[in-house]
Amino acid sequence: MNYSSRTKMNRGLVYLVLTVLLIICVIPIWILLVNATRSTPEIQQGISLIPSNNLMVNWKNLTNRGFNIWRGFLNSAFISVSVTILTVYFSLMFAYAIHVYDFAYKKFLYGLILVLVMVPTQVSIIGFYKYMSMLNLLNSYVPLIVPAIAAPGSIFFAMQYLESSIVKELIEAARIDGCGELTIFHKIMFPIAKPGAVTMGIFAFVGSWNNFFTPFVLISKMKKYTLPMLVQTLRGDVYRTEYGSIYLGLAVSIIPILIVYILFSRYIVNGIAMGSVKE
Amino acid sequence: MQIPQLEIIILGKGVIALSENVVKAKRKNSKINKNYYGYLFTAPFIIVFLLFSFYPLIYTFYLSFTNMTMMSKTYKLVGFENFAKLFQDKFFVQSLINTWKIWLLNFIPQIGIAMLLAVWLTSSRLKIKFVGYWRTIFYLPNILMPATIAVLFFNFFSFYGPVNQVGVRLGIFKDAIDFFRNSGWTVSIVAFIQWWMWFGSTLIIIMAGMTSISQSFYESAMVDGANSWDMFRKITLPLLKPVLVYILVTSLVGGMQMFDIPYMLTDGRGSPNGSIMTMNILMYMKFSSNKGHIGAAASVGVMIFIITCLSALLIIKLLSDKTDRKTNIKGKRG
Repeated sequence: MNYSSRTKMNRGLVYLVLTVLLIICVIPIWILLVNATRSTPEIQQGISLIPSNNLMVNWKNLTNRGFNIWRGFLNSAFISVSVTILTVYFSLMFAYAIHVYDFAYKKFLYGLILVLVMVPTQVSIIGFYKYMSMLNLLNSYVPLIVPAIAAPGSIFFAMQYLESSIVKELIEAARIDGCGELTIFHKIMFPIAKPGAVTMGIFAFVGSWNNFFTPFVLISKMKKYTLPMLVQTLRGDVYRTEYGSIYLGLAVSIIPILIVYILFSRYIVNGIAMGSVKE
Repeated sequence: MQIPQLEIIILGKGVIALSENVVKAKRKNSKINKNYYGYLFTAPFIIVFLLFSFYPLIYTFYLSFTNMTMMSKTYKLVGFENFAKLFQDKFFVQSLINTWKIWLLNFIPQIGIAMLLAVWLTSSRLKIKFVGYWRTIFYLPNILMPATIAVLFFNFFSFYGPVNQVGVRLGIFKDAIDFFRNSGWTVSIVAFIQWWMWFGSTLIIIMAGMTSISQSFYESAMVDGANSWDMFRKITLPLLKPVLVYILVTSLVGGMQMFDIPYMLTDGRGSPNGSIMTMNILMYMKFSSNKGHIGAAASVGVMIFIITCLSALLIIKLLSDKTDRKTNIKGKRG
């Protein structure tokens, strides 16, 4: 009796803490979305959790001042989609090679990936910048997209995933049937690895979509700005008093990610767990 | 009727045995022939890694020994001059302290709260409902764009922003606070944002680690009369160590490179009083200054690299003693 009532009390306390944390997580995002629909005077009067009807006015104010959000959107989408495709394809290819073939420096490569996951990468940005300027690739998307072929984090995940899902007998059977190695990789391995590929793809997409530092250093032409770079300009003087428009700009930048999250949160949450711990 | 069936079975077994032999022979054969595909399939990674990751890193090390600037076409090797200057530079020392301070201020509550929540959500006694939903919501801030989050919190904590409105109205503060002119507040806000973005991710990893611990350990401990604190200390913590090392190291690597939030939250120079100027921001400031000190900026990058790698190695070394080295390695692999 005493024991179970104590458990009940503890349970109540736990739900209280969880609810407080839930509010802390959701409220800032909710206020952001609501404020995108309110006018500046309304926002200055105080916070509200109910949307208003000033969305269109905010949108006009936002886009009339040179904030070309569609271009930023397209630029970011182009980069992120390319990065996602390259990362998923080549990470799986690498992991497949590690698990299926025996070759000389296989063990070394495996160890290299484990080390690379834990090495800081942004610190070489100065050398990267100078190198890209020598190759005339500043203000180009090549340095933002091509390195996705060698993404240690994704490869690490792919190696974990394929270790348990590759069926060697199936590969052998396909070989006997006369399939080439690349065909086996495309036609047999890919369907098996599809759930893993989706998870990897989401992480690659979100990472690239949110990436600020590398494009910020390499790209200076306004026309080529990515979405995070555009969002950053919302802090400047142009929108100083147009709070509604600022919030709308911010809302537009996170809505695609929110949609991705609502659709794929199961993959994302399981993916984080899998990337770090083998169950 | 019986005999033919038997024959078929025998025949069938024979066929299976035969085909197994064929497969074995083929397998041997194909292994010899096809293994060179290992080189082909890993070649794209190796080429791109060498060109776009390894070479820039080596080149950054090289640049850190030069006096190169954006403006001058010629430059020369100056040895350790950039590094000698860095250690006399009070900005560098300050950025080093700032980076560690912000990281610790967000990491300690992050791991503490995540650990507590993980114990609660996996507890078989409490039986908390909707575990999946809770952690999905706690992870949400992590996928949002840091640029958006920085501008959002800049607006929230601005002088006429919602935090001051609510705070004054409810009587929590006497007067509106100018958060971004006060070093203490600004550092706390950055640490809070980092905590907000990362505790959900840490929670999910710890939970995965906890659920992979066999229940039988707890059952036998319960038979021996252990209470829940004993079980946490003697079973959960030691078995969770590899996961904790992983979290600690990855968080440290990210924390030492912190840039987006502190850069965009104030003026991009770590204001007020350089209190949120991280090492990465200092590197960018040197790089984007009027003269564009490439050499000096590269030396900051090299220092971040060395500090991060040494700290990570130290953590791994300290936390993995001989007895559980094996499990530790396994844990890092996954």
